Amino acid sequence: MRVTDQATFNQTSTDIARARERLQTATTVSSSGVRVTHPGDDPGAAGLLVTVNANQARFDAIQKTAGQASDELASADGALNAVGNALTRAEELTVQMANSTNASGRAGAAGEVQSILNEVVAALNTRVGNRYLFGGNVDNAPPFDATGNYLGDDGVRRVEIAPGVTEAASVRADVAVKGASGGVDILSTLSALATALTANDQSGIQAALDPLSQGISQVAQARTAVGNSMNAFDTAVTVGQAARDDQKKVASDLSEADVFEAATNLAAAQQALETSLAATAQGFRLSLLNFLK
Amino acid sequence: MSDLLSIMSAASTSLAAQRAVTATAGHNIDNANTPGYARQRAELATVLPAEQVNGGFIGGGARLETVSQSRDRFLEAQIPAAIGSAAQSAEESSALASVSALNPSAPGGLSLSLSGFFTQLRALSQNAGDPGLRQAAVASAKSLALSFNQTRGALESARSGLDQTVSGYLPEVNTLAQTVADLNRQIRAARASGGQPNDLLDARQKAVDRLSELTGATQVPSTEGVNVVLGGGVGLVTGDSAATLAVAPDLANAGHVAVSLTWKGAAPTTLSDSALGGTIGGALSARDGALATAVSRIDTLAYDFATAANTVHQNGFGLDGSGGRDLFTVSATSDGAARSITVSAEVLADPGALAAASASTGVPGDAQNLLAIIGTESQALSAGTDVGATLSSITAQFGAATQRASASSEQDAAVKKNLTDLRQSVSGVSTDEELISMQAAQRAYEAIAKVIQTSNEMMQTLLSIKTT
Repeated sequence: MRVTDQATFNQTSTDIARARERLQTATTVSSSGVRVTHPGDDPGAAGLLVTVNANQARFDAIQKTAGQASDELASADGALNAVGNALTRAEELTVQMANSTNASGRAGAAGEVQSILNEVVAALNTRVGNRYLFGGNVDNAPPFDATGNYLGDDGVRRVEIAPGVTEAASVRADVAVKGASGGVDILSTLSALATALTANDQSGIQAALDPLSQGISQVAQARTAVGNSMNAFDTAVTVGQAARDDQKKVASDLSEADVFEAATNLAAAQQALETSLAATAQGFRLSLLNFLK
Repeated sequence: MSDLLSIMSAASTSLAAQRAVTATAGHNIDNANTPGYARQRAELATVLPAEQVNGGFIGGGARLETVSQSRDRFLEAQIPAAIGSAAQSAEESSALASVSALNPSAPGGLSLSLSGFFTQLRALSQNAGDPGLRQAAVASAKSLALSFNQTRGALESARSGLDQTVSGYLPEVNTLAQTVADLNRQIRAARASGGQPNDLLDARQKAVDRLSELTGATQVPSTEGVNVVLGGGVGLVTGDSAATLAVAPDLANAGHVAVSLTWKGAAPTTLSDSALGGTIGGALSARDGALATAVSRIDTLAYDFATAANTVHQNGFGLDGSGGRDLFTVSATSDGAARSITVSAEVLADPGALAAASASTGVPGDAQNLLAIIGTESQALSAGTDVGATLSSITAQFGAATQRASASSEQDAAVKKNLTDLRQSVSGVSTDEELISMQAAQRAYEAIAKVIQTSNEMMQTLLSIKTT
């Protein structure tokens, strides 16, 4: 093949430009650590990255929300525990006062039961942040007034524990405390007990024993449900974090450059450019002009 | 018998021939770097007829027969198409690679905004009455709408930029087409008066090459010179006449320019994209191919997504207990939906209007409807896949188009380089060769001068004979 000067110049120019382009690409990949920036870099990976990034955000959001729900349920459980303890104390007092004939003792116990009632109402008006936990959907105002009337509704908040799967994140106080669906009204029971104690009404006091016992068990059942939900949310947090981390790793595998491969490519590109430049310099030295005198 | 004056006359003709060889070599060296130049050769021939002297023939020296041009017709026939293809794929590749709107991990990009929207809805679902979370959810909806607007805007902006590319090159195309037509006439006139007008041929080839690069046109030899033909057999230059190309907004293509061709005295004909190759064709391919598809699919995605979200949102109730409101305001059809999508004015003005509750009595804590809106993340849209998978498909499709254009660009560039290298091999100037040619001519010139000197001395010898 006949080789002309222009062909030589064009070839070297093309070769050097290509070597510089490769060096630029290798430098960019090495310095940024990113292999896929533009969809054209790897269409399959770019498409998957969209899905993987979305999944990562989804699992992250689910585990955070589940974590918050679990924290709130822990507060609700704490409040129910306080209610349970208060009821146990009320039951003890009731047992004592049911067998006692001391009117002043009953009057004193009546004061304590009233305190227990206030304590229970206060516990049931627990709030986390700006939200009351036992009001159902009516979570922006105290769910119980001082006399124990329920001002909330029968709503149960549900929070996602997996895409499309939800778990109860609140306690139905109308059931657990007020005895809807066939239970006992704990607050009315306490209120009636206080009244009976004040009135030194032995039969009234004795009549409170069964409801109190039932109430304790009602609260225990609610706590069990809360515990189950908390377990579900805690599992969701663990699973969500693991799923998020898995997606993160997939995203990393898809988009990030292999450090060693990037370094090798960079070194190879540098070497190629140096060789190209050296070869060009050598080639340009040879011309008949150098020998004609 | 050959006389001395004849020898000197023949030598004089031969000297002129050697000077022509030197001049041609010099012209070649002068144009060694001139684009489109094909090396020339001074073709020498023996002066005929040889003079018969007794039993033999004595030649009359050398003369310049012609100055020829080194071109391979087979290669030249292939090169315009190769130049056009390389320019087309390079322009398409460059145009698509410069669009970053669909980069999968771009901050503020559609992918992350979509994730951000659902993340904020999930946060709100845990505490639907919280004003701060409502504000954040509405802000994320606004970001998502803006992201749709910006993504579509960037894609449309790229398409408009390609309109500028097309429009910008047309004056040059028209000038080149007229140049080829003019050169056809000049070359015909020069040939009529004898000889090959090599430099005019070079100028015409250079113009045809550039036309091929810009429009993908090919050349068809004819008795009137070279005709230049666009894709689909549409003539651009016929003999001495050239058509002109112009652009006009095409309302059927969102106002993007369409190219029309006009022959003098005739009505303009709108050219299809397939009639144009080269840089202009590459710009049109990118504009009306991958970019148009991406715009259309983003529009459909925005419309489908907003419609799905609105359908669920309308069933829910805001903090004021009212329902039936849209979450997004979007056009009535998918056409331009990504450009026009916004968060509805009511929700924007009052985040409390975000319909989280499934019943008016459920406010503020009920988040059932919010969970249903979150459920649209996995709802199949008109494309048959959910919003994330659809966006993934749009991204992958655009990436595949970019990668295909890039691969074509490399392949076409290699074909073009191979052919232009071969053209260089045949038509390019080698300074070594030209120097050798000049040395040869110089040697011959010196020797011929010696012939004249010898003849002159012989003449002097003859004239010095004295008659007695």
